[in-house]
Amino acid sequence: MQISSKEVISLIGLTSIIFLIAPLFLILYVLSYNRRKKKHQEETVMMQQNFENELLKTQMEVQEQTLKTVAYDLHDNIGQLLSLTTITLSSININDNQNTAEKIALVEALTLRSIKEVKALSRLLHGEEIVSRGLKAAIEFELEWLKRLDRFKVNFEHNNVFFTGDNAKETILFRLFQEIINNIIQHAKATEILIRLEVIEDNFRLTIRDNGVGFDVDEILKRKAGMGLHNIVKRSIMINGSASIISIPLNGATITINVPYK
Amino acid sequence: MIFITVNTVSELLCLLAAIVFLNKEKTTAWRLFIPFLLLTCIVEVAGIYIREFVHTSNYALYNVYVLFECGFTSYFFFYLYKAYHYKPIWLFTWLGLFAVMYIIDLLHHNFGQFVSTTASVMSVVFVLASLYFYYLKLKDEHFEPLIFSAPFWWVSGTLFFYFGSTACNNFLDYLSEYERITFSRSIRYIIYNILDIVMYIFWSYAFICRYRQRKSSPSLG
Repeated sequence: MQISSKEVISLIGLTSIIFLIAPLFLILYVLSYNRRKKKHQEETVMMQQNFENELLKTQMEVQEQTLKTVAYDLHDNIGQLLSLTTITLSSININDNQNTAEKIALVEALTLRSIKEVKALSRLLHGEEIVSRGLKAAIEFELEWLKRLDRFKVNFEHNNVFFTGDNAKETILFRLFQEIINNIIQHAKATEILIRLEVIEDNFRLTIRDNGVGFDVDEILKRKAGMGLHNIVKRSIMINGSASIISIPLNGATITINVPYK
Repeated sequence: MIFITVNTVSELLCLLAAIVFLNKEKTTAWRLFIPFLLLTCIVEVAGIYIREFVHTSNYALYNVYVLFECGFTSYFFFYLYKAYHYKPIWLFTWLGLFAVMYIIDLLHHNFGQFVSTTASVMSVVFVLASLYFYYLKLKDEHFEPLIFSAPFWWVSGTLFFYFGSTACNNFLDYLSEYERITFSRSIRYIIYNILDIVMYIFWSYAFICRYRQRKSSPSLG
């Protein structure tokens, strides 16, 4: 079949039009992709800001928790020791030599205990330093105080958890641990607490289990009272992790947090 | 009046834009636009003069011009790629290939025709270079407002011209034969007019963007 010159010319014209339209769409695509890139960049900056805000909030909460423990310890522990010291001193009868010697020895023992307690308090006051020594060390330190309450049988299990050096992530994870322990102290009516910190593949897994009264997870999450639980879930997600909360009323609760450390 | 055509006017306006917006430019690649566009205008007018007054074919003139066109455009693409750490070896390899192709093309036609094969290959390479520039921009995590990006609009104008002229280039031999008598009303002439207008508008806008960029960052010159 013979193609006429006019047909060839039309074909060339049509092809050229298509060849003109193609770059136009390409340019529009690049511009629209670039706009999306801008939006994505803005979102990334916003997420970073949110993360930094949340981290700051977490650090403040850790400090607040430390101060609460200090206040509690000053009142219930050191305060009591000093009161006992004062009472012992005021009851000394200098004419009764033997009794005086015994009481002075008691006062000395009380003063030494007070000094020991004050030293321990001073270590606790450097809350941020605790986290900088690693999550395991921070949890161990916090549990020392929990054990003193004598309200719980505390078990801490760990499998050679190392310090990642990601201070922000470990601070948030430590704060989650504090929040969960606080919830147990305030609401669970538990007698035993099991804390397990493990490294499984590329994840930190923190499991906290108690034998308290438990709660209805869905119900608590629906209510505003569930802010603590919401925070646990939200902050776990923020550090690219996840939180699982399992509880049956009257049967304790298990909270598991998985966080990638890479 | 014969010298006032869509091509000459659009080239001249683009040259004026280059003079106004790039005269204080410190970057060589951008400054080179002024002599290159001046050369383009001179070649265009000389081409018309040879065709209309000397009554001979002007392919020899365009055979020389294509060397400058390829040299400058390749150098400018290289300047754009340099920001992405590309080495000069790429530029020299391409220019070497072009030179070999050009000589073979000339010898093949006994210096008696326009080097259309070389020009077609050059167009394809510039289209690929433009597309690759887009790819680099899309891949680049650093955000840049492309609406005001001088390199982006220069590349877009270049892509329009070389991509749009592909069909004409491929049928050049056929069209040359057919258009011998009625060149001024031919499809090729119309297409090239459109392509020239589009490219020079994009380039002029690129010069304005470059001027704005220079004003906002005096370190550019």
